[in-house]
Order: sequence, then structure tokens, then C-alpha cells
Amino acid sequence: MSLARPARCLFCSFSRTATPGTRVPRRQFHSTPAPLTNRKPKFPNVRSSENQIESSRSGLKAEDFKSYTEEEKAHLAKEYSAAQMEAIKAGEAAIDPKDLSEQSVRRTDPYRFKYLDDFSVIEPGIDRNVRAPESNSDYNFKLKSEDQFVEDFGRFFAESNEDIKPSDFVRFAESLRLTEGKEENELNPHSALVPDLFGPGETIDEPRAEERKSAAEKGEKERSLEAEELTDALKSLLLATGYTERQVRELRTKTLVSHSVVNQTRLGKVRRAYRLSVAGNGNGLLGIGEGKSEEAADAKIQSQYRAIRNMQPVPRYENRTIFGDVTGKVGAVELQLMHRPPGFGLRTQHLIYEMCRAAGIHDLAAKVNRSRNKMNTVKAAYEALMSQRDPEEVARARGKKIVDVRKVYYAGKV
Amino acid sequence: MSLVNLAHVCSHLNNATKARLSLTSIPNSNLHLKLCHALQNSGYLSSVVRGGPTPPPAHPILGHPAANDEMEGIEPVTLDNVASRRLWLGLKYWRNESVLGKVKMVSKPTRRVTIDVEGLRRVVRGEDAGYVGGLRSPGESLFLSTDRGIMEARECVEKKLGGLVLCRVL
Repeated sequence: MSLARPARCLFCSFSRTATPGTRVPRRQFHSTPAPLTNRKPKFPNVRSSENQIESSRSGLKAEDFKSYTEEEKAHLAKEYSAAQMEAIKAGEAAIDPKDLSEQSVRRTDPYRFKYLDDFSVIEPGIDRNVRAPESNSDYNFKLKSEDQFVEDFGRFFAESNEDIKPSDFVRFAESLRLTEGKEENELNPHSALVPDLFGPGETIDEPRAEERKSAAEKGEKERSLEAEELTDALKSLLLATGYTERQVRELRTKTLVSHSVVNQTRLGKVRRAYRLSVAGNGNGLLGIGEGKSEEAADAKIQSQYRAIRNMQPVPRYENRTIFGDVTGKVGAVELQLMHRPPGFGLRTQHLIYEMCRAAGIHDLAAKVNRSRNKMNTVKAAYEALMSQRDPEEVARARGKKIVDVRKVYYAGKV
Repeated sequence: MSLVNLAHVCSHLNNATKARLSLTSIPNSNLHLKLCHALQNSGYLSSVVRGGPTPPPAHPILGHPAANDEMEGIEPVTLDNVASRRLWLGLKYWRNESVLGKVKMVSKPTRRVTIDVEGLRRVVRGEDAGYVGGLRSPGESLFLSTDRGIMEARECVEKKLGGLVLCRVL
């Protein structure tokens, strides 16, 4: 009890028994909070020793680390050279058995390594590539001519016995050299290329079978689709654009605006469905199309096909963003598209986002001011994307040299 | 240095490019002349010639008036004719679009905007600095009035000069 605590009435302690019920820690008239006796951490902590992450001491004593006996040494000498034996002896002498017993740990936790790694082998995925010596390279090598191959083949026939097995052919083909010059240059060149993780035909768990299966499924799907009859609209689209049906199917189309429109005639109101779609190949082509029809599905198809017909190249800087900041205005929609650095992403509203997705723009910011009418937003964004100024053209027009500093000085790394 | 007249010049240039004029004239003043020379150096104008109320004759080869025309010669500026002088500007067009895009004042007659080198560095890199927005579009330029004359923002950065921001050209 701190001395600064105000003295309570002594008689309070007597009256406490009179009040039934549990004791709630009363707020103290003190600036520092009173420590609660039964305070427990919200989340229980786990000691590393409990979790067995930290390995237990090996429990070995210094006496357990004995030096090699003569018999063992003789056995080792069979395996190692004299110099290596010297090194082993020096290593043995360098480490004190007392240190070994105190510091060596044997991991018993569930995450210990269950194998002994073989560091004598270079694994292409893990280890740094070790290039073959430069002396392996031969700059004067020549590809063998056809006559030389024929000669090799003749020699193979002449040297081999009467009964040639297929395995002999395989061996011949494998050992056949394609170049003239140093042998190492062809077999083990001084190359910076890292060897393949898997050899040809090698996989982790044979995903090839799955691939084959999916390919077969795909084929079936295609056949079933081909079986469907081409509509007249699709036929004329294919004719106009020169795309195949498959290419059209692979284009990214998205219907962005859908509502109904009404034509007032003297007979009454005629309602029709309106759809606005964008189409793009995800690699710099973008088009928008509008469709109107009594049937909603019909209007959608119509708008999509028109969008595909209207596809035009969108200038893209580094195939990811736009050249400069551009503005577009259709009706009361005024918008601004702003270029952004790599990795920024598409921080735009959904309509412009979908357009950028279709066009293959990956870094962009947009601001839509005044009205945000969906149809006019799409149209204004399209207008803005198309109104980009090409730096090459600007340079030609002004008779000035314009250099992309990012590309020239920093190789696109800034 | 009247920014009112400069604002008039800016809007006149915008109107002239929209009307597809090849030659236009602006009132003669040293400020206008220096700015026009800066624009010409940046490639926005084809020619800047000080002439009278009527357009000066075109150069026989160039097709527009030239300040160094030896055939026709330029009327020298005297005390008598200085009031009637005008600057005749040749406007450029490329691929059906005017080379001089939109000219917009940054400083206003009621609020002059100055910028130092540090701010100008940011502006040239495309970042905003104070009242001046960054140059974020290809071919966009900013003209400043400095101790060493009127020049483009990038040139100012090169020479480590700050100054009064006059106008922005897109």
C-alpha cells in the first residue's frame, strides 16, 4: 500500500462484511491505476522451451567426444588423401571437446531438418551457378557439314557389328557431336545460363497427364462450340474484322451501361433496351459500342460486336500507363486521367477500371468531375485515352529532341 | 511588366490557333517580344517579326515573314513609329493540330507567382510546388521571367534560376 493513498475510514472495513455480493475493485482516488491482482494476459504466451523450438542440449559430456582411434584413422585413410587426413587431424585438435559438449545442440523440435544436406552437389534452383572454365570455350568452332555427318554415320556402321540394336542407335545419336572444334565447348560451355531445373520431360509429379487431360477437355469444348451455328451478326463481324471466331471469343468484352430508352411516338411509348460495352484485347486495343434492341440480350450482343468493330489502338507508355495527363469531356462529364508510376495499379472508378483492363493499362489514376453519368463517363474516358499526345510527334512538330530520361538513363528502373 | 496585356496575348494566341491562323499580331512590348522569342526557341512559333500595322511580306523561300529577311528588309524602330509597331507571329501546325496548344497564365495581374530553383526542380519532375502544378504531359512547358531574361523552366533549372512564373504551354 502506497503512502500517498488517502487514508480510508477505519470503520469501513467493519461495514464491508455487511454488504453481500462480490467485491468489485473500486476506483481509487489516485492518478496511478491500482494493479489488479487477478490480471492475466489476454493471450497466453508460449515459452520457446515449451514449444520445443529451442533444441534441448545434447546432454553429452566432454568425455563423450573422443578422438579417433587408430583403427578409425586407418579406415578414414582409405577414403581420404594424406592432405585431407592432415586437415581432419587439425580440425579435431582445433575444437575443444568441452566446447562441443556445452554448445552443441541437437534439435528435437518438429521443424528440424530431417535430412543431411549434400553440399557437394550444385542444385540449379538453390545454389549459385558455377560456370565452366573459360578455357572450355572455343571461338573457332564450326557446325558440321552434311558430308561430315554422313561420314560419322558411315563410321558408326563400319565399326558396329552385324546386329545393330535400337539402343546402339540411341547411343550413337547421343554421342554424336554437332560441331567441330573443342569438345568441351559443345558439352560444357562457359555459359552464363543456369541449367534447367528439370530436364526435358522431367516434372515434379507428372502434371503432364493433367495437361493432356485438360487439353482433351478443351478440344471437346471447342468442338461443341464449333457445332453451334454462327449467327449472321457474328459472321459479318468476322468478315469485317478479319478475326477468327476464336480470337473474337478471346477478346475482353464487358457491358458497362445498361438501361432502357423510350421513343415517344403518336402510338405511345416504345421501350427498348440500351447497352454500352467495351471491348479490348488486353494489349493496347480498345473500342466502345452501343446497342439498342427490344430484347436485352440482343442489345448486349449488338453493343459488344460494335465495340469489337470499333477497336482502336490506345497509346500506352511502357505498355502500362498513358502518355501524360489527359482530359475528356462529353456532356457534363469532365474527367482527367493521370499517368502513374509502375506498380501503382488502377485507382479509378469501376467504369474506367474496366476500360483500362480491356485496353491493358495497369497504372492509372482518374478523376471524374461535374456529372458522373455512366454512359458519358465511358465516352469521355475513351476520348481522353485517344487524345494522348505522342512524344515523338511533339518532338517532330516542335523541331526539338525529346528524350525519355527514364528509358535512356535509367533503363526503365526508376 | 503588365500581366494584363500578357493575359490578353495568351488568350489571343489560343483564339488564333483555334481559328487556324498562320500569322497573327500582338501588341509590341519588350515583355511580349522576349516571351515570343522564348516560345520560338522552344519551337512553338515559326517566326517573330516586329512590323507595322500591316503584316510584313513573307520570306520568298520560308513562306512566312522572317526577321533576317535580306530581300525585303525590316523597317527600323524609331521614335516616330514605335507606337504603331506590332509583333507578327508565325503559328505552326503539324498533322492537323496546332503546335502551340493551350497557353495559360500562371501568374495573374492580381497575384504574381514566383518560384525558386528547388520548387522548379519539383515542377520539372512533374510534382506540384506551391501554386505551380507539375509539368506532367509530354511537351508541356512553363515560361518564367528571370534575371537573365524569359526562359523555359528546364533551362532555368539548368542555370539554377528562379523567377516569376508567366505562363504554361501545353
